[in-house]
Amino acid sequence: MIRTENLTKVYRMGEVEVQALRDVNLEIQDGEFIAIAGPSGSGKSTLLNMMGCLDKPTSGAIFIDDIDTGMLSENKLAEIRREKIGFIFQQFNLIHTLNALENVALPMFFAGVGRETRLKRAEELLAKVGLEDRVDHKPSELSGGEQQRMAIARALSNDPEIIIGDEPTGNVDTEAGNVIMDILEGLNREGRTIIVVTHDAEIAARAGRTKRMRDGKVLD
Amino acid sequence: MRDKFLMAYRSIRERRARSILTVLGIAVGIAAIVSLMSVGYGMEEAITGELTKMADMISVMPGEISGHGYVEKGSFTDRDVNDLQRIGGIKDVSAMTYDAAEVEYRNERTPIFVLGGDTKELGSFYVEPVGLKEGRWLRENDYKGCVIGDRVANDFFDEVIHVNDKLVINGEKFIVVGIFEKASTLYAADVDPHIFLTLRTSKEVLQTDEVKYIMVRVYNIADAEEIAEEIEEAINDNHGLDDFTNAMTMGSALELIGTVFNIIRGVLVSIAAIALVVASIGIMNTMLMSVMERTHEIGVMKAIGAKSRDVLTLFLLESSLVSFVGGVTGCSLGVVVAKVMSLGAGTAIGIEMTAVVKPMVLFGGMTVAMVVGVLSGFYPARKASKMSPVEAVRYE
Repeated sequence: MIRTENLTKVYRMGEVEVQALRDVNLEIQDGEFIAIAGPSGSGKSTLLNMMGCLDKPTSGAIFIDDIDTGMLSENKLAEIRREKIGFIFQQFNLIHTLNALENVALPMFFAGVGRETRLKRAEELLAKVGLEDRVDHKPSELSGGEQQRMAIARALSNDPEIIIGDEPTGNVDTEAGNVIMDILEGLNREGRTIIVVTHDAEIAARAGRTKRMRDGKVLD
Repeated sequence: MRDKFLMAYRSIRERRARSILTVLGIAVGIAAIVSLMSVGYGMEEAITGELTKMADMISVMPGEISGHGYVEKGSFTDRDVNDLQRIGGIKDVSAMTYDAAEVEYRNERTPIFVLGGDTKELGSFYVEPVGLKEGRWLRENDYKGCVIGDRVANDFFDEVIHVNDKLVINGEKFIVVGIFEKASTLYAADVDPHIFLTLRTSKEVLQTDEVKYIMVRVYNIADAEEIAEEIEEAINDNHGLDDFTNAMTMGSALELIGTVFNIIRGVLVSIAAIALVVASIGIMNTMLMSVMERTHEIGVMKAIGAKSRDVLTLFLLESSLVSFVGGVTGCSLGVVVAKVMSLGAGTAIGIEMTAVVKPMVLFGGMTVAMVVGVLSGFYPARKASKMSPVEAVRYE
């Protein structure tokens, strides 16, 4: 379960203070599929970064499985990102020097999983997203949709409970976007919590619940 | 760990051109150190090696060697030579005469120094190390034979002298029975411009009984220094002076040369150190560039669960791999350069010289490469590991 309490984030850009999040209170249950929608600059990505343990709040708190992540060290946060959370980015963010298999195996590499196990599981995960014949390809040799599926396989690498997607269909065509949503729905059926940020109403409609954001606040 | 090596190797290979340049940077620095040190050792060994062959020898001269050169104070007497034979520990004593004589060859005249001494002693002192180009060495009964140095044969007269040619020395006719090879630097001053005669004939030709030079051989090299002092004492007593004579052992010459070479090596190492500083700035630059360029990648790695330590390790591995390859290349390059350099230098100054590659120097070169690599990789690696994942991921 993910729970925020008066979560506030202030960015300081020189003299100017930007309130990215204002007193956000939100609860996401285990196994939920939730979409967070809203215009750009509404704070969705900031909220997502907090939930993904990439950033720390200015004030307020965010709990993941009742752990106050604001109190954790950098190393502990890295561990949570590695074990509990799988990230999918709009820009895919694959490592271009590594092939599909190695990209997918990378989080396991950081988790200290042995080479054999790692590569075997990476192969299975690629098959799961329909990329079994792209194992040796570099990201640049694949289409946008395929790259995003590779990124999903990577997100699943350490079998996380939570999948966080920041506009996961934002850079692919509609057809590929549907395939990606199908995969995310499938993962949700496996019992994983899926949190997706989008400004595409159609995508938001496929989630179990949708929360709207504006000016750093979650609307009811 | 093996996987981390593979990762590091990947990213080095991905930036091939720049990695090669960095490797070259280190390699040149290390090659400079290795080659300069090896040439230095080679030079030292070439010179001390020749001297060590004569370590049981003490040269006694009637004069003083000072900072300004050699000042002759007279000549030895038969009594001096006899007294020396009485000192314990001495194997043999060989007296030599030495003076300028007028030499005529095919109606051309020029003054040349003539050196006379015991043929066996002179032979072991000069013929063994220098060698003869033509003819043979003197025999005790060669009353009318002489052996000449390379410059006497080739430079002193318009026409080149060969074996069996006739020379007139101070009005007496001699036949050239042998000609020396061109001597190396160490012997050039002793051999090249001289005419060698037996002691008896040289005394006749130079019309003197004076002994200008005594060579002493000792049984035990360890005693040489002590015996040299006794020699000086005995001869100074005979002449009633405190500093009439100078007895020099090869050991003291070796010590002097050792000091000189320490200074030379110091200079060479400082030159190499400058090269290395330049190289390490190069590595740091490459690594910094690499960090900047991969800010995004580092952010992604952190977002998917890499700890700061993982990132630090990866970047440090990268820089140490680069410096290891640089070190190995540098050492090999250094050895090759050292061989070529000492061959060239040896030919130029006429010493037979080979570079001496000491394992310590290679080991030191590798250590320096690794230390420089890791140290100059550390700052960029740390910078990379400290990046905030959110900002790094956003960086394009």
